[in-house]
Amino acid sequence: MTVHETTDGAAGQGGAAPRSARALARARRLHALARFWRQYRSHRGGVFGLAVLVVIALLALAAPLLAGEESRSVTDATGGALEEPSGEFLLGTDQFGRDVLALLLWGTRVSLMVGLLAAFLSVAIGALVGITAGHFKGWYATVVMRITDWFLVMPTLVLAIALSTVMARSLWTTILAIGVTTWPTTARLVRAQTLAVESRPYIERARALGGGHGHIMARHVLPNVMPLVLAQTTLVISLAILTEATLAFLGLGDPTVVSWGGLLQDAREAGAVSSGNWWYITPPGLAIALVALAFTLCGRAIESVLNPKLGVSR
Amino acid sequence: MDRPEQHGSSTNPRTRRGRLRLLAASGVAAMSLTAGLATPLNPAPHEAEAADGGKKTLTVAVAQSVDSLSPFLAQTLVSTSIHRLMYDFLTNYDAKDNSTVPAMATEWESSDDKLTWTYTIRSDAKWSDGEKVTAEDAAWTFNTMMEDEAAATANGSFTSNFKKVTAPGPDKLVVELKKPQATMTALDVPIVPKHVWEKVDDFSKFNNDQDFPVVGNGPFVLTEYKRDSYVKLTANKDYWRGAPKFDELVFRYYKDQDAAVAALRKGEVSFAAGSPSLTPAQANSLAKADNIKVNEGPGRRFFALAVNPGARTKDGEEFGDGHPALQDAKVREALFTAVDRETIVDRVFQGNAVEGEGYIPPRFGDYFWKPSAEQKRAYDPAKAAELLDDAGYEKNAEGKRVGKDGKPLDFRILCHATDPNDKAVGKYLQEWWGELGIGLKVDCLDNVSDPWAAGEYDLAFDGWSVNPDPDFVLGIHTCAALPNKPKESSATDNFICDKEFDKLYGQQLAEYDPAKRADLVKQMQSRLYDTGYMNVLAYPNAVEAYRTDQIKSITTMPQAAGNIYGQDGYWSWWSAVPADDDAGSEGSGGLSTGAMVGIGVAAVLAIGAGVLFGLRRRATAEDRE
Amino acid sequence: MSTDSTAALVKSPGAASDGPAEAGPSGRGPRSRSAAAYLRYVAGKLAGAAVSLFAVLVTSFFLFRMIPGDPVKHMTQGRPVSTEQLAAMRREFGLDLPLWQQFTDYCAKALTGDFGMSYQFRAPVIDKITEALPATLLLTGTAFVIYTVLGIWLGARSAWRGGKFGDRFGTAFALTLYSVPSFWLGLLLIVTLSVGVGPIPGVFPTGGMESGGQSGFAHVLDVAHHMVLPVLTLVAVEYARTLLVMRSSLLDEMGSDYLTTARAKGLRDDAVRRRHAVPNALLPTVTLLFVNLGNTVAGAILVETVFSWPGLGGLFYQALSVPDLPLVQGLFFLFAAAVILMNTLADVIYPLLDPRVGR
Repeated sequence: MTVHETTDGAAGQGGAAPRSARALARARRLHALARFWRQYRSHRGGVFGLAVLVVIALLALAAPLLAGEESRSVTDATGGALEEPSGEFLLGTDQFGRDVLALLLWGTRVSLMVGLLAAFLSVAIGALVGITAGHFKGWYATVVMRITDWFLVMPTLVLAIALSTVMARSLWTTILAIGVTTWPTTARLVRAQTLAVESRPYIERARALGGGHGHIMARHVLPNVMPLVLAQTTLVISLAILTEATLAFLGLGDPTVVSWGGLLQDAREAGAVSSGNWWYITPPGLAIALVALAFTLCGRAIESVLNPKLGVSR
Repeated sequence: MDRPEQHGSSTNPRTRRGRLRLLAASGVAAMSLTAGLATPLNPAPHEAEAADGGKKTLTVAVAQSVDSLSPFLAQTLVSTSIHRLMYDFLTNYDAKDNSTVPAMATEWESSDDKLTWTYTIRSDAKWSDGEKVTAEDAAWTFNTMMEDEAAATANGSFTSNFKKVTAPGPDKLVVELKKPQATMTALDVPIVPKHVWEKVDDFSKFNNDQDFPVVGNGPFVLTEYKRDSYVKLTANKDYWRGAPKFDELVFRYYKDQDAAVAALRKGEVSFAAGSPSLTPAQANSLAKADNIKVNEGPGRRFFALAVNPGARTKDGEEFGDGHPALQDAKVREALFTAVDRETIVDRVFQGNAVEGEGYIPPRFGDYFWKPSAEQKRAYDPAKAAELLDDAGYEKNAEGKRVGKDGKPLDFRILCHATDPNDKAVGKYLQEWWGELGIGLKVDCLDNVSDPWAAGEYDLAFDGWSVNPDPDFVLGIHTCAALPNKPKESSATDNFICDKEFDKLYGQQLAEYDPAKRADLVKQMQSRLYDTGYMNVLAYPNAVEAYRTDQIKSITTMPQAAGNIYGQDGYWSWWSAVPADDDAGSEGSGGLSTGAMVGIGVAAVLAIGAGVLFGLRRRATAEDRE
Repeated sequence: MSTDSTAALVKSPGAASDGPAEAGPSGRGPRSRSAAAYLRYVAGKLAGAAVSLFAVLVTSFFLFRMIPGDPVKHMTQGRPVSTEQLAAMRREFGLDLPLWQQFTDYCAKALTGDFGMSYQFRAPVIDKITEALPATLLLTGTAFVIYTVLGIWLGARSAWRGGKFGDRFGTAFALTLYSVPSFWLGLLLIVTLSVGVGPIPGVFPTGGMESGGQSGFAHVLDVAHHMVLPVLTLVAVEYARTLLVMRSSLLDEMGSDYLTTARAKGLRDDAVRRRHAVPNALLPTVTLLFVNLGNTVAGAILVETVFSWPGLGGLFYQALSVPDLPLVQGLFFLFAAAVILMNTLADVIYPLLDPRVGR
C-alpha cells in the first residue's frame, strides 16, 4: 500500500506564506478533503453506500418520531400475534402483536450503535497497538506483535462466541466481544504504515528538533494513518453488524434490546421461518445485508481513493 | 429516553402510521419479491414407506443429542426414550391413567414391613438374540448398579436404598430394601441381558454403540446409529405384547426447529415435537396444512416465578444476596397481583397453555388444586399499588417505589437464555412492574444453576416436570432439602423452609390412603400458594404434530388428551398405525435419490451457467459498444 | 465471517503472521536465498507456531473455566442426585483437584492428544472429534474448492475487464452476497429450495447429512444430495473474498513492468493474461486462502447449525451451552491449531514459490 501524501511533506513550506502556519495547515487540510471528496464521488458504489448510510442514519435518529416510544412495549401492543402485512401494519406484527416496521426502525439504532462502537473499539485498539509497535521497535514491538499474531490466528467467531458465553448477556458484551476479536488486522496495517511514515526524513528532523515520542506519534504518525484507519473502520463496522446478528442468532445477544439480529432471533424463536411469516424474517435480514453492504462499499471506495492501484470500479 | 413531547407527537396514531406507510412503501416493494419465496405452499407428501420392500417407516424429528446408548449412563430424554423401546422395564404405566401395569414382571407383592418385594418375571419373553429373558437378568442389572459406581450414573437413585437383590428362580426376583421405598412399582430401570453385558469391563466408558443390532427385549430393536444423524430401530416381531405396526422407527436429527417443521411439512419426517414444544406460530400454521394433525396435550410442566426468600443452609446460615424487600409478604403479594396470567396465556403461549394457579398441573387430576376466591391473587394493579403503599414503599417524584431506607425497589430475575418463554414473559413483567414503579433486570444465562445455588438472585423463572407421583416436586420445598453448606448444590428448589408445609409433607409421606394423601397434597399446595414464594403462571401444553398420510392413529398418554413424545412408556410408537398405502411405495430414500441429485446438480449448474452466461453476454455486449 | 476485511485481503499473505512482510510493504521474502538462511527462517516460523500453540492451550483452559455453571450439576440434567454422587462425579472428572493441578494435568495429557472425557457423552473428547471431523471436512472442503475455483475465475475475469459493466456487476453481486448473514440465507434456502414454494419444487432435504440405510454409490449420491444447500450457502457468502483478492492481485500484476514488456514482445493480450499475469496473481490468492481456511471451518458453525450437519461446528456450539468443558477446550484448540498450522505452512512455502524471490 502506498503512503498517503495529502497531509505530510509540507512542513517546510510554512515560512514563505504570509498567513500563519495554523491557517495554512487548515487550508491544506480542506483542500485535501475536497480532493478526497472529488475522487470519492467518482466511485459509484461508494456514493451509493454513502447515500444508503445517510438515509439509514436519519431513520435511526428519527425512530422515536416515526415509530413512537410505545411501539416497543408488549403490553401496549395493538395488533394480534403474527398478523400479515396490512394497511395498519405495513410489515405485519411480531408474536406480541407489535408493529414489525416500528421494531425494525428501533432496531436500526441498536444495530448501528453496536456496529459503530464495536468498530471504534476495534480500530482504536488496533491503531494504538499498531502505532506504538511501529514507533517503539525492539522488544516491545516483538512482544506486542506476537500477541497480535496470536489474536489474528484465533478463529474470530469462535473467540467471540466464547467471550459472549463467558460474560453476561448485554449489548456491551457483544460490543466487547466484537471489538476484542477484530483489532489485529488493523494493528498490522497501521504498523506497516507507521514504519513507512517513520522512515521519512522529516520525522528525523522532528526528532532532531526535540520532538518526543508522544509528539511524533500524535502529530506526525497519527494524521498519516488516519485515512487508513477511516477506511478500516467502515469495513469493520459492516463486519461488526454481521457479527452482532450472528451472536444474536446463536442466542448470545441481549434479549431485552431490540436489534436487527435480535429481531431475527425473536422471529426464529417464534418459529416464523417454518410458519411462513416472511414479513417477520425477511426485513431484518435484508436490513443487515443492506447496511453491511453500504459500509463495505464506502470502505472500498475510501480504500481505492487512498490507493488507486486497487482499481475499484470507477 | 422517556421524553414526554414524543408521547405527545404520537398521540394521533393515524398520522404516525401515514408517515410509516410512506417510509415503508419502497421496503414493501423490495419485500414482495422475497414474499413469494418465503410462503410455504402445499408440499407433495411423501409416503411412509421406504423404497426397499415396502417397509413402513415412522420417522421422528429430534434435536437433542444421544449422550450414551448405555442404559447405565444415558440421561437425556431422547436416550431414555429410546431405551424404553429397546428394553423392558419391570413395570410400565397404563396409557389411560398412569397406573402401574405389568411389563417384564407380571405380578409383584411386598412383605408387610414393605422391606421385601417379590416380582414374578414373565416366561414368554425372549431377547432379540433368542435367549430367554429371566429374573437373573434383572438381578444382575440391579446388582451391577449397586456394586459399580459407574453403572449407577443414570439410575442410581433407584437402587441406593437396595440391600440385596436375588433371583431364586428364573421367574422370581426378590429385592430387599434398607427402608421402605415408594417407587418400587415405578422402577424406571431398563433391564439388560446379562449374557451380553457381563463382558463389559468399564461401565463408565461403554456406550453400547458398537455392535448392531443391540440385543434387547423391548418392542423395537436398535439396528443403526450415527451420531447426530439418525437412530434406527426395527420392530421386534416377537414382542410379547404384540408387534409394533410400523416396521421401522427412525429418529432423525434436526438441530434447528424450523428445519424440523419444514421437514414435517415436506413429509421427510412423520412426527415433530419441537424442543420443548412447537411454537404457537408453528402450531397454527401446521393446523392449516393438509395431512397434518396438531396434537395438543396438557403438559406436565408448570411455568412459575420463584422468589428467593433469603438463601440459607440447613443450620440457618444465611448466604446469597436476595433482595430483602421480598421477605415482606405484602411486597410479594403486590408483585404477583400485578401479573396478568391471562395475558401471558393469551399472548406468550397464544392459548397453548392453561392459566396457572396451584402447584400441580391439572393433568394430574387427583392432586390438582385451585385457590379459593378469597385466597386468589387476581390481576389488580390498583390493589398492588395499594399493597406497596401499605408496605412502606411509596412512589417518589420520578415514579419509582422507594423503601424507607431511600433505596429504590429494583429486582433481578434469572432467566434461561435458551427459553423463549422466559424472555417473553420477562418483557411483560418489566412493563407491568415498571407501571408500579418497580425496576426489573432480566438476567438471561445459558446456565442459571450457579447463581441459583449461590442464592444470588431475587426472582427466577422456574419450572419442573411433574411425575405421576408428586413426592419429588413437593420434597424440593422442604427444609430438609436445604443445602448443608452455603452455595452447595442441593435438592432445594428456591430455599423455601416452612414449618407448616414440612408438617403436611411428613403427613402425606406416611399416608397410604390415596384419597387422604391427595387431600394433604392439596393442603400443601394451598400453603405454598399463600406464602407467595412460588407463583405458577401457566401450565404450558405439549404441542406436537404428525402427518396423517403417514400415521393413521397413535396413542397419546393420557389416552384421552395427552402427548406423544416423551411418554412414561412406549405406547405412542408401539401403537402407531401406518396410513393406508394407496399410493406407490417410492419414498424419499433409495431410488429417487439419484434422480433428485440429478435435478439438484443440474439446477446448480444451470443457475451458475446462467449467471456466467449473462455476465459474458453483458460483457461482450459492452465490448461491442 | 472472519476478521479479514477486504483491506486485509489485499495485503501480502505474510500479513497473517510476521516474517516475510516484516520488512515493510516491499519485503516479499527472506532476502538471502541461501539454504541456511531459509532453514533458519523455517525454524523461526516453527518455533513461533509452537509458542502460539501453547498460548492457545493456556487460553483454552482458562477462558472456559470462566463460563458460569457447575458442570457436574449440569451433567445430571436436573435429576435428583445425592451429594455423594455429585462428589463421586467431581472426583471422576478431576474437578476436585486444585486449579493449577488440573491445568498441569490438562497440558500433560494434551501433549499426548488426550483432551479428557466429554461430560455429556462420557467418551474421550478425541473420539468425539474424530467422529465429527469427516463431516466438517467434507462440507467445508467441498465448499472451499468450489468457492476458490469460482472466486479465482470470476476474479480474474473481473480484473481483466476492470471497470466495465461485467466487472462492476460481478463485484457488486459478490459483495451483496458477502454482506448477507449466512444463517439467514441458509434458512431462506430451506424454505424455498427444500420445502418448496410456488413453482419451485422442494428438491433438497431440509437438513442432516444422510438418510441412512444406503450403501455404495447410492450412499454417495444421498450425501451429495444433502450437501447441496449447505455448500451453496457457504459458497455464496464466501466466494466474494476470493474474488476480491484475485481481482486486486491481478490488477496489481497488470500494472507491473514485465507485463508491458511481454506485450511489447508482441504477445497477444490473452496469452499475456494466461501465461504471466494469472499465475503470478494466483500465488498470493491461494496462499491467502490457506490462511483463511481455518476461519472457514469456524464459520461452518452457523451453517452446520442451520442444516443440522453433524460436524464439529454444531458440536462446539452444543458443547458450549452445556458447558462440556473438555469438549469445548478440545475443539477450541483444534480450530486454533488448524489456523496456526495453515499459517505456518503458508509462511514456510511462500518463499519457495514466489518467483520474485527466485528458486
